[in-house]
Order: sequence, then C-alpha cells, then structure tokens
Amino acid sequence: MIELSPAAWAVMVEHAQNCYPNECCGILIGSESDGKRLAILAVACRNAYDGEQKDRFEIDPRDQIAAERKSRELSLGVLGFFHSHPDEAAYFSQTDLKNHWPFYSNVVMSVRAREVKDAKCFRVDVDQTASTEEELTWPKS
Amino acid sequence: MAKILIPTPLRQFTGGADIIEASGASVGEVLAALTTAHPDLKKNLYNDEGKLRSFVNIYVNDEDIRYLSKEATSIAAGDTVSIIPSIAGGR
Repeated sequence: MIELSPAAWAVMVEHAQNCYPNECCGILIGSESDGKRLAILAVACRNAYDGEQKDRFEIDPRDQIAAERKSRELSLGVLGFFHSHPDEAAYFSQTDLKNHWPFYSNVVMSVRAREVKDAKCFRVDVDQTASTEEELTWPKS
Repeated sequence: MAKILIPTPLRQFTGGADIIEASGASVGEVLAALTTAHPDLKKNLYNDEGKLRSFVNIYVNDEDIRYLSKEATSIAAGDTVSIIPSIAGGR
C-alpha cells in the first residue's frame, strides 16, 4: 500500500488543476517500510509528450534526473509516478501499462472540471502485461 | 571511473547497490563493464539484438546520449551515468 502525505497530495492536486484540460505528470519520493510506502514529496514535472497532451503524457527525463538527485540528498527513494486523466476515470490504460516499469507505484487522478475527483494506484507486473491496483490513501478534505 | 546511478527497480540486480562504479572510455564500454559485473541487468537494458531498449534513457551528467554520440559518447573520470526509466502513458 502507499500513503500520500498532505504535502505530496497538495502538489499533485495543484499540478493537475494547472495542467487541466491536459494531462499532468510527476514523481513520488518517499520511503518504504514493512511493505508500506509513504510518499513524502511529489515533484511536478513537465509533460514532454510531443503532441496532443489532453490524453498523453511523457515525463521529462531531465526532471527525473533532478528528482533522483533530490531523493538521494534526502536519503529517500523514487517510489513511483503520478499523472492525471482529465474528464476521465482513474484507471490504468493499455498505454499506461506499456509505458510504465514494474516496482513503481503509479497514481492516476481523475480530474473533472478542474477538480480532482478520485485517485487510484496501480503496479505493473514484470512482463508489463497486467496491472494490479494498490491500496492508496491520501488526505481527504 | 564513472559513477552509474541505478534506478530502484534495477537494484535487485546489483545486490541492492544504488551506485556502481565502472571503467570505460565510452558509454558503451561503461555499460558493458556494468553488465559484465551484474549480468542480470543485461536483459533489462538491452533487447535481443543487443541494442539499448527504447524505454531506457541513458544520460551522461545532464545530457541525453541520443543527442550526443549515443553509446560512443566519451566518458571522463568522474562523469555520472544515469539510467532513467522512460515513463509515459495516456488514455
């Protein structure tokens, strides 16, 4: 399971709202203990997808390098990633499945009319042929 | 010697190490040294044709090797080589 800290969630919501109606994306940094992950920080990233960004995203690798550096400085790790689905449900699509790595927690936010309505988290199996929903908790307002 | 930063999913193939030092004059040589020392990494970094997988980005310091000389990119002592998972998606 993974828990999002209030600080991480606030960054994710603001980024999703600012990017709407396009997809936003970012990185989750935190720690893991006894199989429970805590995302302490979320890093808002640039959507580097070269095309229509309403339904596609690609995390800018330069933002990943910076986040990786930051996580090491803080003695934390990159736990996963987040992105938004504007005016769609929080599900893990086939495109998501083919373009994510195993191990990571991948949070998908449903954003409707600029409001974050739902969030779910998924992990990809080692063959990238299936995803499993991971228990997710975040601060509810 | 170059420092190679290993992303979390691949640390299971390096005995948990997040940084590996390897020698070589080019990116290709450094990665060859890495996969020789940690053979299980090879299938995660290279396809069956021996080419770097498309969802693996390699950076030297802050530069993408695709925009340098790819695997022939020169490595100097103290350079940092980052293995960056390509993450993308959409509906």
